[in-house]
Amino acid sequence: MPSFVLRNKVVERSRSCFVILFLTLTLTACRSNIDKDLIRYGLDSMPVKLDPREATDATSYRINRLLYSALVDFDNSSKFIPGLASWQLINPTHYRFVLNQKRQPFHTGEKLTASDVKATYDWILDKENGSPHRQTLSIISEIKVVDLETVDFILNNPDPLFPAYLVIGIMPQKLISSAYDFNANPVGSGTFRYRSRPDPNTLKLERVRDKQVFEFIRIPSPEVRVMKLMRGEIDILQNGLMPELKRFLAKKGRASVSYLEGSDFAYLGFNLEDKVVGQLKVRQAIGFAIDREAILQNLYGGQEKLATTFFPAEHWLGNPAIKPTQYDPKRAKKLLKELGYSPDKPLELSYKTSTNPFRIRVATVIQDQLRQVGINMAIQSFDWGTFYGDIKAGRFQMYSLKWVGIKTPDIFEYVFHSKSIPPSGANRGRYTNQQVDQLIDSAKTFDDLDDRLEVFRNIQQLVFDDMAYVPLWYEGHFAATTNDLIGYRLTADGNYDSLNYVERKVNRMVKRKVERTNN
Amino acid sequence: MNEMFKYILKKLIGATISIAGVVCLVFLLIHLVPGDPVEIMLGESARAADKAALAAKLGLDKPLLQQFVDFVYGVFTLNFGESYITGEPITRMILDRLPATVWLALASLLIAVLIAFPLGAIAALKKNTLADSAAMGFSLLGVSIPNFWMGQILILIFALLLGWFPVSGYQGHGAIVLPAITLGTALAAILSRMIRSTLLEVLGEDYIRTARAKGCSQTRVIVMHAMRNAILPVITLIGLQLGTLLAGAVITEKVFSWPGIGLMVVESIQKRDYPVVQISVLLISSTYVLVNMLTDILYAVIDPRIRLREG
Repeated sequence: MPSFVLRNKVVERSRSCFVILFLTLTLTACRSNIDKDLIRYGLDSMPVKLDPREATDATSYRINRLLYSALVDFDNSSKFIPGLASWQLINPTHYRFVLNQKRQPFHTGEKLTASDVKATYDWILDKENGSPHRQTLSIISEIKVVDLETVDFILNNPDPLFPAYLVIGIMPQKLISSAYDFNANPVGSGTFRYRSRPDPNTLKLERVRDKQVFEFIRIPSPEVRVMKLMRGEIDILQNGLMPELKRFLAKKGRASVSYLEGSDFAYLGFNLEDKVVGQLKVRQAIGFAIDREAILQNLYGGQEKLATTFFPAEHWLGNPAIKPTQYDPKRAKKLLKELGYSPDKPLELSYKTSTNPFRIRVATVIQDQLRQVGINMAIQSFDWGTFYGDIKAGRFQMYSLKWVGIKTPDIFEYVFHSKSIPPSGANRGRYTNQQVDQLIDSAKTFDDLDDRLEVFRNIQQLVFDDMAYVPLWYEGHFAATTNDLIGYRLTADGNYDSLNYVERKVNRMVKRKVERTNN
Repeated sequence: MNEMFKYILKKLIGATISIAGVVCLVFLLIHLVPGDPVEIMLGESARAADKAALAAKLGLDKPLLQQFVDFVYGVFTLNFGESYITGEPITRMILDRLPATVWLALASLLIAVLIAFPLGAIAALKKNTLADSAAMGFSLLGVSIPNFWMGQILILIFALLLGWFPVSGYQGHGAIVLPAITLGTALAAILSRMIRSTLLEVLGEDYIRTARAKGCSQTRVIVMHAMRNAILPVITLIGLQLGTLLAGAVITEKVFSWPGIGLMVVESIQKRDYPVVQISVLLISSTYVLVNMLTDILYAVIDPRIRLREG
């Protein structure tokens, strides 16, 4: 090969290398800048409705808590406490609510009054509006405005839990009467005000006290949420991560991670009308065969707690006397033997779940644990609509779901009363126990909440003994924030209230310096 | 011209029938699968009376045929209605997402074309050499790598490691680059294989030999003679791919949090949000059919033999 050809090739290659190097340096130099004035929150789903009268999903509930104020709130043990108003019982069917003097005005600057409270709840109670909260509030017979600060609720029948139902954010009466679109442009009196929705995956809110802007960004992929946090494109994420991603974030040390025991009740449900799982011994055998601690340790990361009933022991409705079922495969095998099953004649079951990869992973572990005691379980996974439809219609033998955000004992009637078989309620397993029905009905006759408490604990014990569900665990909460952010705290129901106190470390240092200088 | 007009009219009639068929089928199927939007909205605890009231408000209490007639009437009067779940006007939902979808589709197609044409040409011209194997190996890799994995690897390298582009999202400079590369490389892989095989067919033709004998340069032979003849099936493929891209790229939209139409449709199906699904499918099928019709017309413009044969 002539030398000039070789030289030309060398020159050409050097030129290519130079071009690549130049491009690399140029592009590196113009790394995309991240605006640190904003605080960004990574969500797995956007809030469906920013109108609390119509919202039912968890993200909407959490965002709406920031935008609107409600009459009643919950404390750490999920007991209801005064929020925007305090109340007094005039008689068992008459509650008087007096608005807090220090309440914030609406974001429009107008004062929040008793008329706004009435207008909000009247709208929900109006059948024409089709609010999903109408059923819960149907106990209200009339709402009367006494004066600007006072509003009376007259009930159809006594219910000491009534204040716990008044958790819907209050909206301005003027706007309600003009059929204002709150979903498009929310106006409340919460600690945050609505700014904009730049695109369908982004929502901007502003903290009223210091005008700090927060951006809520929908990032459906959990892996991408983690990468965005590591890159600093979001500052906070909460829940919705596979355990390996949680471990990855914690190990890397690139984010501050926190866990909190939660109260979301995960369970195995049975169709009690089914000939096989309708037998108590079969359900007990399944309960003994599942090594829930191993599942928690290996799939969840070990932060979750074993469940016994709907409510954890520390919940005001919890029953600390009930202890979790222990893993005991020998006992499971013995029970199955008593029923005539053996390794040659294994018990065949089907288990329905959604297409959520994590739920399928949990199902396969349960499948393996049951196989070890002689139960062959087939897993069937369906898209959410089909799965949920099948569960309500009773087209299942076994399934797994979790109850989220349960705070009040009306859940017992809704889930365990024989009158509550879908479509009349959520007694999906078709559970019938006359004693439980009687206890649920009798609880309503007690005007005092403490008297009812004893009844509720008895109901929980009976349901636990009947193994209407196999309680699995209470799913907790996980959050990760960038290291330069402070003030974010997890709460038992996973709300975003601590965004009221979140700020960047740098900003806090600057503020303190300014304060010191001013002093 | 008259002949061309007839050809277009014929295609238009065919397209309208296809769209009507798709819309009818989707309307029927979405109503047949289990799951009730009223129950999704009100929850299990709602009273039968409340459920009935909401069903009546949404028009779900009417016979299926009546619902279909209402839907068709809505389409003809351009009243697309509102989402059952969010209450948002469907027109606004689609208009909010359409720019993102179109922008991503065009950018990915551009990347696909930019990669595929040189790659396919090199593979054809250097047949059975290392260059051919490398080009086709790259193409095989592009087809084999799933988008969700490719997207995450690109994010790891170009967003996390090098920091050149944002990890995901629609806002900000450079946000389009990674999703467009993810989609574009997969398309380029199929396109380059097609270009290689059609070019190879054409390169053996007499007119190529004649062009070479006339003394045309290699570039002129490839670009003006070979490529022009080889491009016909490639145009069809590009048309089909553009149609698919405009229908939304669900996986890529999910990985890059891209606010496109694809993910919206899938989520609406899961929530049984009938009006959104119906209108979106109408839009998607119309786009698909329209793009393919335009491809056919372009085909006829490039190669007059086609319309003559059809006529």
